[in-house]
Amino acid sequence: MDPTTVMAIGCSVLVFAGWLFLPHSPTTITPVKVSDERVREEREPVRVSA
Amino acid sequence: MKIDSGDTAWVLASAALVMLMTPALGFFYGGLVRRKNVLSTIMHSFFILCLISVQWVLWGYSLAFGPDKGHIIGGLEWVGLNHVGFTPNADYAPTIPHQAYMVFQMMFAVITPALISGAFAERQRFKAFVLFSLLWATFVYDPIAHWVWGAGGWLHNLGALDFAGGTVVHISSGVSALVAALVLGRRLGFGQGKFEPHDATMTVLGACLLWFGWFGFNAGSAVTAGALATNAFVVTNTATAMAALTWMTVSWWHKRQPSVLGAAAGAVAGLVAITPASGFVNVMGAIVIGFGAGLFCYLAIQLRERIHVDDALDVWAVHGIGGTWGALGTGLFATVAINSAAANGLFYGNPKQALIQLLAIGASWTWAAIGTFAILKLINVFVPLRVHEEEELLGLDISQHGEPAYAGIDAN
Repeated sequence: MDPTTVMAIGCSVLVFAGWLFLPHSPTTITPVKVSDERVREEREPVRVSA
Repeated sequence: MKIDSGDTAWVLASAALVMLMTPALGFFYGGLVRRKNVLSTIMHSFFILCLISVQWVLWGYSLAFGPDKGHIIGGLEWVGLNHVGFTPNADYAPTIPHQAYMVFQMMFAVITPALISGAFAERQRFKAFVLFSLLWATFVYDPIAHWVWGAGGWLHNLGALDFAGGTVVHISSGVSALVAALVLGRRLGFGQGKFEPHDATMTVLGACLLWFGWFGFNAGSAVTAGALATNAFVVTNTATAMAALTWMTVSWWHKRQPSVLGAAAGAVAGLVAITPASGFVNVMGAIVIGFGAGLFCYLAIQLRERIHVDDALDVWAVHGIGGTWGALGTGLFATVAINSAAANGLFYGNPKQALIQLLAIGASWTWAAIGTFAILKLINVFVPLRVHEEEELLGLDISQHGEPAYAGIDAN
């Protein structure tokens, strides 16, 4: 095998094998916080005179 | 020279595929910004499609591909497509009409300044953007395109390899994006909380359309419908997939969750990195290039965040670093088994090619940085680059265009 093939196999194994050790689910669940600005945008339509 | 109908059909279809990439980029970027700026972000891409389509036929193509002047720039002999007709040009594509090659290259010239728009999203004045795009295409893109692809260009003569635009498209836009972000400064509220993408689904769809269009970008660059185009197609798909897998895995390890937007960004990083190499490397080389793209571009974003540069949509990390890695990777993994008209890279016994690639990378970084800085400073003398604070808070859709993107925000 040429060096490129060896490297390609090494990279693939690293990624595929890495999945075995990754977390199953997030360690902490943070509730999604909607910013005040976002709330304003959605509830109070901005009006600009043409 | 005889026109080949198969080659012509492929190049014209590829031009259409590459054209689709620019609106796709608009949607990719549009999903990443806040909802008050989505229309202005999409408009950047749409406007550039129109602007450069005209600039290119007037003088852009002549400057980039016209008769060589001192190995630096093309002459003005082809202004207005004078001498650019339907007879093939032996220097560029001997089996298709010259205008087919011209329009294929036009789509590259279109998407390159559109890529930069991600860096100054949500804060650049539209008028300044218009002027910047025209000047940048003329004084940064066209010269670099001539250096690398033009007959007689100095990097072309040195033997620099760039199949579809790692230096010409991605380094030039990525480095310019970094300079633009530094010159314009940060968005209001930067660092005081995360700017959440307003529609991640739009971004993922944009990434998928980019992937689709990129087959024309890379495989079309063979300018023939044969083995070389097939190789470019296969390695493009392979590197893209590998980069998406790598980015997702690294972000999963780093942030504890497999990010969907991360997978989409990783795919784009892979597309960028394989671009210069797609006509020179085999599929194993593509896997290594894809792996490097996912890893290095992800790390570049961490660095960009650490130094607090507001390159809003990470154009430098993905295109600047991805393009640099791809250009270097070409010098490492290129093999004449794929393209007998090119050269071997370092891992196939030719270390000199890696040095030539480094020179091309350095030249592109330098010209893009200097050119972009000078153009922005010049424009700022006449037109403020940024919108006013209250316009930025209101959002560019309404303050610059007088139109909301979605119902619920009206302009009356």
